[in-house]
Amino acid sequence: MVAVGDAATGGTPPVAARPSVKRDPLLQRIRTGVRANEHHLWGWGGRISAAAPFVALVLTVLVLAFKAWPAVKVNGAHFLVGTDWKPGSTYGAVAYTNGVPHPVGVSYGAWPVIAGTLESSGIALLIALPISVGAAFALTERLPRWIAEILRYAIEILAGVPSVLIGLWGALTLGPLLANDVYPFIASHVPDVPGFSYLKGPVGHGEGLLTSGMVLALMIIPIIASTTRTLFAQVPPLPKEGGEALGMTDWEVGRRITIPWVRSGIIGATVLGLGRAIGETIAVAMVSGSLLATISPNVYGTMGTIAATLVTQLDSAFVDGTGFEVRTLAELAVVLVLVLLIVNILARLIIRRTGNLSAPLGVGL
Amino acid sequence: MSEGDQRRAGEQVRTSPAENHGEREIDHVLEALDPDRERPHDVVLSKDLSLSFGDNRILSGVNIEFRRGTITALIGPTGCGKSTFLRTLNRMNDKVSGFRYEGDVTLEGASIWGPDQNLLHLRRRVGMVFQRPNPFPMSIGDNVVAGVKAHQIAKGKQLDVVAEERLRQVGLWDHVKDRLNDSPFRLSGGQQQLLCLARALAVGPEVLLLDEPTSALDPISTELVETLLRKLTPALTLIIVTHNLGQARRTSDNTMFLYGGKLVEHGPTEELFERPRDPSTEHYVTGRMG
Repeated sequence: MVAVGDAATGGTPPVAARPSVKRDPLLQRIRTGVRANEHHLWGWGGRISAAAPFVALVLTVLVLAFKAWPAVKVNGAHFLVGTDWKPGSTYGAVAYTNGVPHPVGVSYGAWPVIAGTLESSGIALLIALPISVGAAFALTERLPRWIAEILRYAIEILAGVPSVLIGLWGALTLGPLLANDVYPFIASHVPDVPGFSYLKGPVGHGEGLLTSGMVLALMIIPIIASTTRTLFAQVPPLPKEGGEALGMTDWEVGRRITIPWVRSGIIGATVLGLGRAIGETIAVAMVSGSLLATISPNVYGTMGTIAATLVTQLDSAFVDGTGFEVRTLAELAVVLVLVLLIVNILARLIIRRTGNLSAPLGVGL
Repeated sequence: MSEGDQRRAGEQVRTSPAENHGEREIDHVLEALDPDRERPHDVVLSKDLSLSFGDNRILSGVNIEFRRGTITALIGPTGCGKSTFLRTLNRMNDKVSGFRYEGDVTLEGASIWGPDQNLLHLRRRVGMVFQRPNPFPMSIGDNVVAGVKAHQIAKGKQLDVVAEERLRQVGLWDHVKDRLNDSPFRLSGGQQQLLCLARALAVGPEVLLLDEPTSALDPISTELVETLLRKLTPALTLIIVTHNLGQARRTSDNTMFLYGGKLVEHGPTEELFERPRDPSTEHYVTGRMG
């Protein structure tokens, strides 16, 4: 350490000189030679890795959009609002609309499956969110540690169960059970209030909207619960103690302090789960009834979703010699991407609205 | 003459009836008006209190009484059990695994662990302010009335009145009146701590426990808080843990010195600092230990 600038500059207090970065031999070695190359390797590797998911997403959407464009030109706005799904006569004459070849008599309206996607995901969310947050709260705040650890593993295992297994269980066991024992009870006991009419009427055979929603809920509960559990575990103890010291019950501390503290994180986890529910394919295809042109009149009726339609219709779409039905499915896929995009944007808006009252990121009291 | 002195004068009247009627009339009036006249002078009383976590004994045999309307400072080196003692008084230690107590603590004559004692109600009567500001993740206004809402003391428009009154009491009203709906996390540390103090005062406690309330604050905020604490007596009884001996001297009426798991000495602050009876107290208050 060398004191500089006292006498020469006329009375400024002596300042201890910092060791110069340029002259320090150790720092010099870090900036040159092998380590510099390593540094660049990390830099470029990191940039490419960071860009990869975005590039993959853009490419996928571009390819889909390119494939779907002719179908957009033929189907028009009817595709979003129409409620019919007619592939036309596959072996009949070929017609041209806006220069695009397609079988005679096609009419594709995807509104029923778009609505089905939103309804089934919405039901899944209504069921899964309270259960997930409750489970996460119990795991971090309530249960003895050893039980919490076991349940935590159970949740993680549930997250890893292939969806086809859950779909099979839903179709063979859960659906019939609900249709025989649960749905009739609900349908006959709901009050005669206009808003509840969706819970009344014929209960079907267990394939349908509510069963799909429950199966989806089962699949997204582990996603939301495990993320929320991690969030709760990070809430610092001091604000919670503040609530207790004020005479709040554990429930009030949870509702007013712990949950709001990580509110934006919970919304993020919910969107993650909602995205999974909207995009879930095979399990819904197995328990929804996979209809194309029917909006269920109540929560028990059969229906279809965008993702399930893509997988159930692809085989027959290849039969269309003009390739038009495949292009229509590509258009449906683009709609699915748009739905996911809108959900994410809405979530961002919600986080921005509510986020300004929750704790700033990184506040550890 | 401070309000505390008036109270002491009133107590004299109670013990020895006044001979000079004309001069003492004001005392009679004051005593008649004193809402606390029927209540015991010692709000909080610790009887042979011993505290331990598992096999680790933190404090043993603490006998002390906290007089109504006074400020008591708890001093002692790190790890001497100051905070543990303080957190016992509102039963914050109860849920810590391994916590055990012997002896008793009474609040106005009733054991705080008694079967008739409602924990939530106890904590409304014995408030607490923490080492670092801990605002809740809600707006500034909601923070002040969070406890009021939980105890259903007031609702609707009354909440706004409570919020304003308490914010004025801690001197924060002019800073925040235009941003009651904003996040408390944008306030400075000192303002956040004042907000937490307003929140603790809002439920109308009788005793306020302060666990090093200014240790995270700058000197100016510290002075603000200290001035405020003086103004809170004699309506409230304050017990303040502090590492800052100057703070203990400036703010407190009585001081208790904990060391080696025992209450070594307690008494009027001036006396304890000027004429400590125990050598370890002397070492500590003169800066040779701690």
